[in-house]
Amino acid sequence: MAIEQHYQFLQNVTPFDRLPESQLMAIAQTFDVLYYPKGEYVELSEPCLLLVIKGVIQEAQDGKVMAKYANGAYFNETSLLRSETNQASVTQYKVLEEAILYRVPQAVFLETLQSFAEFKAHFYSNIVDKLNAWHQQRQRVAATEVMMEAVCSAPIQPLVVVNADASVSEAARQMVQNKTDCCLIELGEAHESLDERWAILTSTDILRFTARQFEEDSVPSALEFRARDLANKPLQTVHELDYLFNALLKMTRFQIDRLVVRREKNNGEIAYSGFLHLKDLMGVFANQSALVLLKIEQANSVEDLAELSNQLDDLVATLHLKGIKVHYIAKLVNELHRKIIQRLISLLLPEGLHSKVAVLLLGSEGRSEQLLRTDQDNALLFVDDINADEKRQLWDFSAAFTQAMLQLGFPPCPGGVMLNQPTWRQAQTGFKAQLRDWLDKPSMETFMHLAIFADAQIVFGEEALLDVQRKFMAQRLTDTPLFLRHFAKVALQFETPVSFFGGFITRQSEKGAVIDIKKGAIFPIVHGIRVLALENGIKECNTHWRIKALMDLGVFETAQGIELGETLNYFNGLRLDAMLRQKDNAAPGQAGDSELNNDVALDDLTHLQQDILKQALQVVNQFKSFLQQHFKLRELL
Amino acid sequence: MNWLKKKIAQHRRERNRRGLKDSAYQFVFNETLEGDYVCFDCETTGLNPARDRIVSLSAVRISGDRILTSQGINFLIEQADAISEESIKVHQIRNQDLQQQQAQLLSEEEAISRFLHFIRGATLVGYYLEFDVAMVNSVIKPWLGVELPNPRIEVSELYYELRAKEHLYGVYQPAVDLSFEEILKHLQLPNFGQHNAFNDALMTALIFVKLRKLQQTSL
Repeated sequence: MAIEQHYQFLQNVTPFDRLPESQLMAIAQTFDVLYYPKGEYVELSEPCLLLVIKGVIQEAQDGKVMAKYANGAYFNETSLLRSETNQASVTQYKVLEEAILYRVPQAVFLETLQSFAEFKAHFYSNIVDKLNAWHQQRQRVAATEVMMEAVCSAPIQPLVVVNADASVSEAARQMVQNKTDCCLIELGEAHESLDERWAILTSTDILRFTARQFEEDSVPSALEFRARDLANKPLQTVHELDYLFNALLKMTRFQIDRLVVRREKNNGEIAYSGFLHLKDLMGVFANQSALVLLKIEQANSVEDLAELSNQLDDLVATLHLKGIKVHYIAKLVNELHRKIIQRLISLLLPEGLHSKVAVLLLGSEGRSEQLLRTDQDNALLFVDDINADEKRQLWDFSAAFTQAMLQLGFPPCPGGVMLNQPTWRQAQTGFKAQLRDWLDKPSMETFMHLAIFADAQIVFGEEALLDVQRKFMAQRLTDTPLFLRHFAKVALQFETPVSFFGGFITRQSEKGAVIDIKKGAIFPIVHGIRVLALENGIKECNTHWRIKALMDLGVFETAQGIELGETLNYFNGLRLDAMLRQKDNAAPGQAGDSELNNDVALDDLTHLQQDILKQALQVVNQFKSFLQQHFKLRELL
Repeated sequence: MNWLKKKIAQHRRERNRRGLKDSAYQFVFNETLEGDYVCFDCETTGLNPARDRIVSLSAVRISGDRILTSQGINFLIEQADAISEESIKVHQIRNQDLQQQQAQLLSEEEAISRFLHFIRGATLVGYYLEFDVAMVNSVIKPWLGVELPNPRIEVSELYYELRAKEHLYGVYQPAVDLSFEEILKHLQLPNFGQHNAFNDALMTALIFVKLRKLQQTSL
């Protein structure tokens, strides 16, 4: 009776709640109570497990904050379970808020661990996770943190500027003098934009020039040849406070080795401050993502690419573990996916056809929001004048491409949105007619097609082919304003899984109570934003960029937009968690990816996560009523 | 003045010791150990030490910041008479509870004897300790011929001193609410809920530990 409250306390602490009453009583008997005022450190004369009755304790390892423990949490189990004490690291428990703790002797804890398998399993899985996370973190912390650092923290090569009339030799001399391999040339023409006024000359250009001199007699000597005629335009620049990985993305996208770093001067004017070189960037990265980029370029077969795309999933898991926002991970991973797909197309598509087609990524890939390869949505547009032979080649290509994508681990699209299907493999005119047809005959199916197409992004080929269709669609939308209102209604079709009283509305599955996070939370936001973007003629496809653009146009309050973006990030994070978990649990050898669904099990969420989820779902409801008002959906029915 | 107090205390202790009837309990007068504190509390059948009996008794030892609840004592004591309705309402130990735990019940003498061993050399800490000590004395005085000689610390007194220091008005005597709940609330300590001897002893111990910390920091 006397230890009743010890016992009750334990009953509410996972995994102690899994122990039988008699064992809980036995543990409760051994409790001592400790008291620490704020600011002190918990000094342990002998190893023991500690539980927080009241207060907040902060764990730090080698001065780095690892965790905080509040009412009802336990800590220091790691040191009890680790066989050899890790001398290298020092764990400190600082009292952030005056604390009262229960203390369980090590012997009692270990004995309980031995006697109760389930209890043990909890700690071991937990501890392994924790230790793994800790190790991985130590290994990768450098690489991933660098990614999120600003450009100015990387080695920047000095800015060398030569005047417009300088010869190639003069430019080369200045480059050597400054120990760098590129320079800027001021063209002196008062063009409207800063980037237009400048050109960049690199050592590669000079190398090519020298080679040309050797082959052709007509080329004048380096002393006479003007440097500006060799230089490249336009400049690709990056702001000195931008993320390093954005710099990497830019280099990847434009296939260049150098970016010009820009910064604002005190008077707000933009000035160039130096060069960021790919090899320096690689030096600071030295991690998987950068290596993957190089390997993609070197890949020469579908098999090579398949291996790389599997590595990307590990990269996603690592970055997610590190707590990097899902939106950024998606950006990086999608860029890499695109590189892989581009490489794949260049392997499969005959050269002669390159200028006659456009390969589009649709849906989540188009929005750059697909994290793990959940499905492939793609389409192929080609020019109208195409001969029978070329047509046959295209058909062969589309079949080979879809097959190769499967091999790369992109499961087939259940809705058949793939470029080997007639609907998504059309000539310019044919597709236009089809768009008109969809717009004129609204049904659930055409809505779905249009939603998927609205997120189309070009991955390979002629941009113009897509632009024509986009303009056509925009025009039709302006002509029939009612269409968008009906289109917007689709965002409301699934119920938000939170009840009037704030509880979850769940579905039972073999994993217990689950919520379909895609239908209930992600889809309404993504689709609502898509419709608003269409309404406002926003070209961006990524939901976050669309939100940003809508904020700039004043459709949203800034606060509302940010809240919506962060909420979406949170949902996507939960979805990614759930999917990574499913992947881990999938039996080896099984095609795990195709099994991935969007269910989030409530049991897998901590109390805190559940609380945030409830709040986040309220944001979804608010957004839905915003859509209702904005598109006057109540009057539609 | 201090030496005089000490002298009187010594004298009393000595006179107390001369009354001891059973030499086996000589240890009760062992020297007090520095830093050894025991917090104790009992539930009784009523508030009159002369007539009422101890129903349950709990004590925990305090070592620095650590309250050794694992080594505490918790006794239920057999009763000759049925416990009255009024007191059951206070401590919630029913006659039935005693019957159910028949096996664990101790005789009054046995319980107090173990208690005396437990507190050997310790300074006693309590909330309105005087009453609890009087209850124990009412048992040992007729039996052993002595009263509890252990030095005592009254937490409500410590608390009053602390609060009084907040007012720097010399002779002004501030009115301080010394109720148990108020002390816990003011010190922001968790209330473990139901009153029983063990809980009260534990919470009193927490109050003591915290007050001592506060004293150290304010010095």
